[in-house]
Amino acid sequence: MPRFYNLPEMPFFFHLITVIAIALPAQLGYTFVFGRGKILHFGPIGVSTVAAYGTFLTLNATGSFLLGLCAGVLMALAFSLLFAWLSFRLDSDGLGIMSIAVYLALFAVVLNWTSLTRGALGLPRIPRVPFADSAMSFALLTTGACVLWTLFFLWLDRTKLARQVSALAEGEWHAKALGISRAGAHIAAFVILGLTLASDNFFYAQYYHLLHPSDYYFPAFVSLLMITVAGKPGSTPGAIIATILLSLLKEGLRFLPFPSAVLGPLRLMLFGIILLAAVWIQRDTLFPKKRTI
Amino acid sequence: MPILSVTHLSLTLNSQQILKNVTFSVEQGEVIGLIGPNGSGKTTLFNVLSGFLKPTSGVMHFRDADITSVSPAQRARLGIGRVFQNFGIFREMTLEENVLVALEALPKEQRMLLGSIKDAVKGTLDMVGLSHHAKKKAGSLSGGQMRLLEIARTLKSGKELFLLDEPTAGVSPKMTRQVADLIGELKKEGKTVLIIEHDLPFISQICDRVLVLDVGEVVLSGAPREIKHDKKLQEIYFGADAAPY
Repeated sequence: MPRFYNLPEMPFFFHLITVIAIALPAQLGYTFVFGRGKILHFGPIGVSTVAAYGTFLTLNATGSFLLGLCAGVLMALAFSLLFAWLSFRLDSDGLGIMSIAVYLALFAVVLNWTSLTRGALGLPRIPRVPFADSAMSFALLTTGACVLWTLFFLWLDRTKLARQVSALAEGEWHAKALGISRAGAHIAAFVILGLTLASDNFFYAQYYHLLHPSDYYFPAFVSLLMITVAGKPGSTPGAIIATILLSLLKEGLRFLPFPSAVLGPLRLMLFGIILLAAVWIQRDTLFPKKRTI
Repeated sequence: MPILSVTHLSLTLNSQQILKNVTFSVEQGEVIGLIGPNGSGKTTLFNVLSGFLKPTSGVMHFRDADITSVSPAQRARLGIGRVFQNFGIFREMTLEENVLVALEALPKEQRMLLGSIKDAVKGTLDMVGLSHHAKKKAGSLSGGQMRLLEIARTLKSGKELFLLDEPTAGVSPKMTRQVADLIGELKKEGKTVLIIEHDLPFISQICDRVLVLDVGEVVLSGAPREIKHDKKLQEIYFGADAAPY
């Protein structure tokens, strides 16, 4: 029997599949907004925070996964629209700073509204959807969702919206002079990213049976940024490959003989170096040269 | 009724008055040259006409609609096309995508008139002899080819008024002739063109009327042959002791 089917190792295989399948849709969403649209949006981690808390506070209150998912989606959409609104009122650098400020404000609310969110303790004992309680069934569920999202993004790359987002990124005035509405394109792009973040966070806390604020610290955003840059900004296949390779690297680090107190910072340093190298290599193409009239 | 009328248009930026009380109108089918020395406000006037800068005072009408507060994208959808001085081509996109993105931005009714979008894209590229480069990135084209592609794309997208900002800048004499031919085609189709140019013989050849702008004001207006010997034009455009062109 091939090693692949060695039963004691299957849970780790399912773990890898699940981790990649959960991360990929949001990664593709961010690749669309930041990679293709060159929109300096550092707020996805804030949208993730409100989507996750919206989902699981509703789930705890009602016991309904469907209502929880709807609440998460609504929260993600509301804050995505807020960021979209900011994006067409601020220039790129301004949006970058403002999105960090909005994230910090949201995170402060989550940490300090302890009567609702339990603050730094997080929400424990998050159940999984009843039909996907085992490692294999959960891996199948997340993979199914991930495949649908991937097909959606491969289709999206060939649509009018993708071309408009690219055109606005390269020459905003030139695109507007053709009749392309920045507001319309940005709203659509931010909404799509918001939906992927809601999907990502619907599965993430279920997988670990825990919703903890430490998963929403700003450094968690570094991996999203790193994969987008490393996978060639704006490229859906590039983002897929980079997500798979870097998730394998991240999980592979667990096997190094270091205590977990060392592994966490080591992982962050390694990812920082990869981000630095990727930005350096792509420094001429990461952002198109802005043209003046 | 004029297709475009501009009345008492002024623009002040950073306490500096860039446009002063600019008033003119353009009839359907006219080709009008906008000339003047560097810094006279020609491109700024185009930026105001296409909605990228909001005038401090004055009004603009396109056909019978007041467009003074209308956004650039809406103006484009109303039928005002712009060709930029620094190439409005998206270099990271293929030639095909460059045309497609322009045609897709048209209002639905206009898009329907084009028939098959695929054929319209091919037709646009054929018009300027670039269909064999359809899948290439636009950044690989020469300056002249980019210019032709941009004009053809704007032409094909059914605009009524074209604002062309130095369409022959950095273009070879052969391609300048092609640009002139394209403008001639626009005129034949009854389209209206406002063109900024420094090449005065080119302006004389293609324009019905010329507006001369100096320090943000329209100081002269008339047929090219009427104004080309005007002393004022010689003074502001070539210097007081220059010979006529």
